[in-house]
Amino acid sequence: MNLERLPNNEKLSLCRKYYLGGFAFLPFLWLVNVVWFFKEAFLKPAYTEQLQIKTYVKRSGLGLLLWVAVLTTWITIFQHFRAEWGVVADYLSFTIPLGIP
Amino acid sequence: MKDNCICVLMVCCVCNTPLHGLDFFVFLCFSDVNSNSVAQKIYVEVNNTVPCVRLLNATHQIGCQSSISGDTGVIHVLESEADLEWPLTKGPNPPYMILLESHLFTRSIMMKIKKESSRIAGVTVVVPNTSPSEFSPHTTCPNENTGVYSDTYGPHLAHCNTTVWNPLGNGLSYEEFDFPVFSLKEDKQCYYDHNRVVNGSAPQYPLCAMQLFSHMFAVTDTATCMRRNDVINFSINPEMVCDPLGDFNVWGSIRPYNRSQLGHRDNESVVMAAARLDSRAFFWDVSTGAEGSISGFVTLLAAAHALRDVTQVAPPTHNILFAFFQGEAFDYIGSSRMVYDMQNGKFVIDLDNVHSLLEIGQVKRLVDNFQSSATGANFSLVEPGVSQPLPPSSLQRFLRAQNIPGIVLADHRAAFNNKYYESYYDNADNLNLRYPPNMTAEEQLEFLTDTAMALTEVATVVARALYKQAGGDGTQVDNIKADSKTVTQMLFGFLVQANNSWFQALIPPELKDMLSDPPDFYVGVASSSPAKAKPLTRLVQFLLANLTGTATNLTQDQCQKPDDLPDESVQMYSYLWVQGTVPHNGTEKGPFCVRASVRLSQALSPAFDLGEYASRNYSTWTESRWKFIKARIFLVASRDLEMLTLGVGVAVLFSSLLVTYFISTKADVLFSSAREPASAAY
Repeated sequence: MNLERLPNNEKLSLCRKYYLGGFAFLPFLWLVNVVWFFKEAFLKPAYTEQLQIKTYVKRSGLGLLLWVAVLTTWITIFQHFRAEWGVVADYLSFTIPLGIP
Repeated sequence: MKDNCICVLMVCCVCNTPLHGLDFFVFLCFSDVNSNSVAQKIYVEVNNTVPCVRLLNATHQIGCQSSISGDTGVIHVLESEADLEWPLTKGPNPPYMILLESHLFTRSIMMKIKKESSRIAGVTVVVPNTSPSEFSPHTTCPNENTGVYSDTYGPHLAHCNTTVWNPLGNGLSYEEFDFPVFSLKEDKQCYYDHNRVVNGSAPQYPLCAMQLFSHMFAVTDTATCMRRNDVINFSINPEMVCDPLGDFNVWGSIRPYNRSQLGHRDNESVVMAAARLDSRAFFWDVSTGAEGSISGFVTLLAAAHALRDVTQVAPPTHNILFAFFQGEAFDYIGSSRMVYDMQNGKFVIDLDNVHSLLEIGQVKRLVDNFQSSATGANFSLVEPGVSQPLPPSSLQRFLRAQNIPGIVLADHRAAFNNKYYESYYDNADNLNLRYPPNMTAEEQLEFLTDTAMALTEVATVVARALYKQAGGDGTQVDNIKADSKTVTQMLFGFLVQANNSWFQALIPPELKDMLSDPPDFYVGVASSSPAKAKPLTRLVQFLLANLTGTATNLTQDQCQKPDDLPDESVQMYSYLWVQGTVPHNGTEKGPFCVRASVRLSQALSPAFDLGEYASRNYSTWTESRWKFIKARIFLVASRDLEMLTLGVGVAVLFSSLLVTYFISTKADVLFSSAREPASAAY
């Protein structure tokens, strides 16, 4: 979708939808929000709705950073300790590699 | 070009980008998938490979493992133990694939290779023509944790403190190797052409390399792999990773038992006679166990045959039950299961019904100097003192449960006489099975070897002893004689060629393909139904049925459903439709129905039924699964050449992208001359 051709209030409502949607454990929506609306929020000349869009983009960015930190930490811990945890790790695993502990 | 090459021309016109006038021609060439001759020109597949696989028990994993995409190594033929220096430290082209002659396949060399395994891709052992002087990859103390002696019962006899049963054992079968070990036929041509070390200098690339694939799925121990078997419900790729070892025990009795009446029988006292069926080797599925197990169970089969006639004429007081246990090499799988069934009322008799047990162990050397004219027993039975523990035997599992009088008949007082216990070399040569030269297979089948005569003597003694133990009539004892022709035919069938006319006569016509050579006695993974039991087990079942049962006049349909007839009962007997012999005078005897009180009982360790995968009391052996096992040889180039080729390729890619970019930006300059007339007309 080309944002150039949308009126400003529709841009705002789209940004809001993505921002609210990301709270349903969907950090990729926040990623899309940040990447897509970055030019609109920070690089375009000012217009009325831009302030709202800016706050949404900033908050989406924060949420995204939080998710990235949590997921990276968990993935690192799990990959490192999966072999040691034994039974618990096997029940947590979605697919268990063959032939290695 | 020899291969079928269907070349497809694809014209791709890219329309709405600056590359306006440029057409892409993509030339794709599909070769015939089946011939794939490029791969055939590179790789030489090695046939008849025998791998070493991974086995797991409650605490350990043993055996060998390769990486999932195979292990590749430059072939190096080992000349001597000192030559190990080249692949382990000095050689400049690691990783190496070591090719061992069989006399170099020793514990010290394998342990050295195991320590430096970062430079070793794998080991292949060349199949020899002659046996070494001694070799036993088993441990020195077989089944030490699951016998009757433990730290609480006879601790001075446990763990081979008094007698080391297998002193020649080097324990290689129970070591864990993280590289593949294969057994192959000799093929050193590629090595001599490319890899020879000349005057201490390294050989030049390209070098001959071998790649071994034997990726095992299971890991750590039995509890882990059985748990991962069960977790398949939640994962996207349901894969079984291991299977318990096991098979079926064969048992038969003089007087039949109603198989629907299980548990204790009042006033029933049974003399049991037992032998083991299976054996193992370091490599998967190539074990023979000539002295270790065949000598024992062939003797028992002959004794059962000898008792058939006399027990019908003058039945003894007690019943006699013959039991052939499978899986004894792996912590007594068969006998522990039978004892468990007896204790829990799942077998036709109870442990209280067992009067005594006679087990036939390794009996090859009981008759050392056989004289063909002798009629009486040519050996004397000696009982060692009470300070001597029992050798590893199924009797130990019975004694673990209950005090039962028992005897183990063996040809060794202390350590085994068998120099090749549980190894690939325990074959016909180890039993001194010799035939005169220039004999056809049929003649060899009938020939009475010395070994057969010796074992016949033992079988006669065993049969007489069993008869007397069961309270038989003393005057009939001298009529009991084992048949040496049966013994020699059995030895030929089990050790030389299973697909012979006598064996074929004993089995149903549809199971003829079951007799494959060479015969193999590894217990293998457990199956759920008796129809899928191992060929060896079924062969022993049919042998016992033919040797102890009676031929009937039933037709094939009646043989399938004998309950329709008034005198026959499937509960008491089993009815088997067998091929029948074709006697030499040409009259076809044809197939007939054998009625025998011979049954198969499951030999799966109780640990798997109880779910105690870390059990210390029962066998917990499992075998890992794998996808495919193969080996191939090819020439390999140096790493520098590979990197150079890759670099050149990447450079060509980038330069072609660059050229394309420049052409596209200057397109109007390069291609303008043809356009002007058209634009002028516009």
